[in-house]
Amino acid sequence: MVALNSDNLIADWSAAKWLLWTGLYLGLGILAPWVMIGAWAHQHRSNLKPRLRELFQHGELGLVSLLLASSVIWDLQKSQYMPYTIALGSVFLAATGVMAGNVWIESYCRRSTNSDFHPERGWRDSWSLALLVFSIAIVTEILLDRFAKVAAL
Amino acid sequence: MSAPAPALAVESRRPVTMRLADPAAMLAYLSLMFGALLVVFPISFPRIIVQSWQNASLMSTMILFTVLLNVAIYLRVAHVRSAKPGIMAASCLGCVPVLVLVGLNFWLHATIAHTLSGYVPNAAARVDEEILAHTYFALVAAIFTPFLIIRFGQQFRQKRS
Repeated sequence: MVALNSDNLIADWSAAKWLLWTGLYLGLGILAPWVMIGAWAHQHRSNLKPRLRELFQHGELGLVSLLLASSVIWDLQKSQYMPYTIALGSVFLAATGVMAGNVWIESYCRRSTNSDFHPERGWRDSWSLALLVFSIAIVTEILLDRFAKVAAL
Repeated sequence: MSAPAPALAVESRRPVTMRLADPAAMLAYLSLMFGALLVVFPISFPRIIVQSWQNASLMSTMILFTVLLNVAIYLRVAHVRSAKPGIMAASCLGCVPVLVLVGLNFWLHATIAHTLSGYVPNAAARVDEEILAHTYFALVAAIFTPFLIIRFGQQFRQKRS
């Protein structure tokens, strides 16, 4: 039986790919829309300079979280974990992802029906749930990275 | 008109309304801490978890931790919103983490039996990784599920009234 020692698991550059993966999602999901608004404002000579909070005040971060959860569920499905563990992880990633997406849905419904809508609450709820999905996603990627190394031994 | 007595003022407080965002932030920080411990202590932290599971102390520790954390989150939200904590929600916060963790412990036993029953190379290390992943997801489940049930219960009650 092959012993698992620290050399197998200590993070090196190749093991830190989850960090690159994190940067990719933060960049494409959050930073890119913000930069694109800046580019649009520059092109149209507008003074539009929205803060991140204003850009995502309708709970759009919930949608980003749902996409993030979907991609991690996909990675989990491809892993060599036992089906029980894959099912458990997938269910809770999906649950948190759907709840984050629900913030955007609720904001949309409230705005559409002119019922009680608070942008601060939309931002706060979507931010908290997006942070939760992001943290679960990042830990899942770290666990997947570890398991891939163990399976490769 | 005279001011209401403090006892009456407490009685008139409305029951606390939970939003999923309330426990989400705390759970996210806990999750990030778990991830940081895995990266900083890639050997010793998983070893502590696996040894605790082998000593049968992991589940009781997790039950105690999750119940206390859930109650603390709930009471904090009640305090911030100046609302009255409900008995149903409190009992849900006490029971659901226990049920979830006990159920998932059986689930983990099935996973380990499945891993060891077939011929897989490096089975012991794989079992350790399964225990680690299972512990993490069980922690998330035990904290998130009670608040999810409370939230759905509140919406159901609003719909009926």
